[in-house]
Amino acid sequence: MLDVVGVRKEFGTVIALRGVSLQFRPGEVHGLIGENGAGKSTLMKLLSGLEQPTVGEVRLDGNAVNLKGVQSAIDRGIVMIHQELNLVDDLSVAENVFLGREPRKGLAIDYAKMRTECAGLLEKVNAKFGPDTSVRGLSIADKQLVEIAKAISYDAKYLIMDEPTAVLTGPEVRSLFALIRDLKARNVSVVYISHLLPEILEISDRISVLRDGEFVGELDPKTSTPQILAESMVGRELGEVFPPLGARTSDEVVLEVTNLSTTPHHQPVSFQLRAGEILGMAGLIGAGRTEISEALAGFRKSTGQVKLAGEAIEKLSPSDRRKRGLVYVSEDRKGRGLHLTLAISENASLPTLADANRFRVNDTQVDSIANGWVEKLGIKTSNIHAPVKSLSGGNQQKVAIAKWLQCNPKVVIFDEPTRGVDVGAKREIYNLIVDLAKQGLAVILVSSELPEVIGLCHRVLVLRNGTCEAELAGEQLNEKTIMTSAAGLEKQA
Amino acid sequence: MNTQSMKSTVERNGALFAFLILFIGSALWKPGIFLQPESIRNILNQNASIGILALGMTLVIVAGGIDLSVGSLMALAGVLGVQWMNQALGTNASDPKGIWVAAASCIAIGGIAGLINGLLVTSGKIAPFIVTLAGLVGFRSMAQAFADGGEVRAVGSTFASLGQDGITIPALPFWITTPLVIQWPVFIFFVMAAAVGFVLNRTPFGRYCIAVGANEQAAKYSAINTNRIKLWTYVIVGLCAGIASLCVSSRMNSVTSGQLGNNAELDAIAAVVIGGARMSGGYARVTGTVFGVLMLGIITNILTASDVSVYWQGFVKGVIILLAVLIQRGRSD
Repeated sequence: MLDVVGVRKEFGTVIALRGVSLQFRPGEVHGLIGENGAGKSTLMKLLSGLEQPTVGEVRLDGNAVNLKGVQSAIDRGIVMIHQELNLVDDLSVAENVFLGREPRKGLAIDYAKMRTECAGLLEKVNAKFGPDTSVRGLSIADKQLVEIAKAISYDAKYLIMDEPTAVLTGPEVRSLFALIRDLKARNVSVVYISHLLPEILEISDRISVLRDGEFVGELDPKTSTPQILAESMVGRELGEVFPPLGARTSDEVVLEVTNLSTTPHHQPVSFQLRAGEILGMAGLIGAGRTEISEALAGFRKSTGQVKLAGEAIEKLSPSDRRKRGLVYVSEDRKGRGLHLTLAISENASLPTLADANRFRVNDTQVDSIANGWVEKLGIKTSNIHAPVKSLSGGNQQKVAIAKWLQCNPKVVIFDEPTRGVDVGAKREIYNLIVDLAKQGLAVILVSSELPEVIGLCHRVLVLRNGTCEAELAGEQLNEKTIMTSAAGLEKQA
Repeated sequence: MNTQSMKSTVERNGALFAFLILFIGSALWKPGIFLQPESIRNILNQNASIGILALGMTLVIVAGGIDLSVGSLMALAGVLGVQWMNQALGTNASDPKGIWVAAASCIAIGGIAGLINGLLVTSGKIAPFIVTLAGLVGFRSMAQAFADGGEVRAVGSTFASLGQDGITIPALPFWITTPLVIQWPVFIFFVMAAAVGFVLNRTPFGRYCIAVGANEQAAKYSAINTNRIKLWTYVIVGLCAGIASLCVSSRMNSVTSGQLGNNAELDAIAAVVIGGARMSGGYARVTGTVFGVLMLGIITNILTASDVSVYWQGFVKGVIILLAVLIQRGRSD
């Protein structure tokens, strides 16, 4: 039994937790939800030994424990699996699992023993790869299995999982859940944090809600719905998640893609996009959605023709495509979408910096651009000169969108625009996308969240192996049709 | 001012504070030597060329690169510049056009070498450390080969007027006893510092350099032509090496192929680091680099003047580099 008792955590003047008490029981999956900034990650850091509470204590089986450092938490069987996996790509699976505590034979590593033990662990997590596999070549789902195997090798009694399914495909989520149930049966206590409410409802035995650093209540997954969870996180009634889509008003084709292919192994893809239309791109991870999006924006080599407002753009640089009105909001906000260490103002004006004057930056204008977007998109910050990394995920995403809207685009490609974003900000982004379409912009929405593509798009392309498997609209557009096409089951049926 | 904001002021202007500490410390320790106007003149005159090099290096480092080849490049540009000047002058050794030939040669060689480095880094996709390590070895070898391993003297003494003449500060009562010459390279350094400062802080190119250094992927995905930005930083540092080479060789009126610019790249990098730049790129200040150059100059000057063995000077420099970085730590975290 792991108890958090009256825990308060202050960082300088910021209060991250205001006296939270929770209990984690063996053989139970405890879901934890809350908007970004609600205190989930701080709580997890306290449990995994990365931070110590200002007030309050953590009790293990009734005894107060001082968790100072990750190792002291691990020694007590509390192991955290972070959203960003901590594996060394260049080492093998076995070397990763036993990193820093390799079995020894004299001075040398006992590789034989390491392999046998690792193979046993891999079997427990139902892995289909061996201990000698190089981690670099593994899929994200398999890498996650390595992390879980590692946690089991620590003899983890409490396993904390932060957004474990954020980057998994449907079938991968299924097998992860099977594994979690397996762990549960072995009396492991799993703490499960996620923004994906249907999943948390499915896997959890209990769900605790945090809001503004406080525990606001416990919900029973059997009697709850995603709507109830969302409302308890936000603390108010949310109403409809997706704003009403306007009917398309124009038949003007803005973007015409003919026989586009990013690798010679794939069938090419062709489609048209009209002004005011939101076109969804669904598909499993690896189906080629991001590749096609990046090719359209000029960041990736491709063959085929792309016409923007009737003009061929396939030979143009990303910068020239941007000037003609095609922009791409990357799925990888932290790595590609934003400069985290640079100011909000610098990020917001980066693509357009040289448009007015190639040789001179106008700082007054840079600031007024940033202030304009802060107001228009409701970016919560006190200072536009603060680094973007000081913002919450949702506000970061708004900056990542602002820098492209500043380019006055005709076509915007949003790649997973709500990944890692809390419920409130998600809805603001949905509203923004629908507003853009109503203003006559053409939007491509790439998303792994099916409700998103169904709720927001006029038309959806389902991709599989780099090509278009199905085009769905109207009544055909539901989770089942998308998934059968995405998995390629349609033709067999 | 509360402690929080004082701390951040110190961190932001770390190089200035480090410079003031060193300056006051030196003045208190050896007032008889350090506060002499001659010392200050020497510090400026002797370090202008490293300063010019460090300005270009600031742009390379802020964009996430490094250039180890510029010291050797100085030797190569100097050897060829003086040889071509001598050829062009023939018997007419005092013709002032010689300076122009040398200047054009040095700067052109610097720029071309920088262009080659930049192309190897961007189009060749070779790590900057390796490209410029090859340059460090290769350019020095070329310089020595062209000079037969020895020294190339400028014919006549007109060439020397560029590096040795300057603006004379007249004697002042109580302080300056004899008139002092601040040589032209010092002014070139300060004018270039202002120019590079403007480029880094006030032009799109400078902001792009910062963006590329802070996160090259994000810069690329902001539709910035990152290769073109990186290429230009290497061309600029090459041009700076050419100008620095011109200043030193004219100051000496000769070029020693094995000596000129030896370790200059390391001094330039040290100056940039002392100036508060982040080695991984994305943050640097030109004023910091200028203070860094002056600090390195002060250390050498005061140690030499106090009869500290030349063998210990490197050690002290090393300690100062670490201290300067420690003072400024925290800003980037």
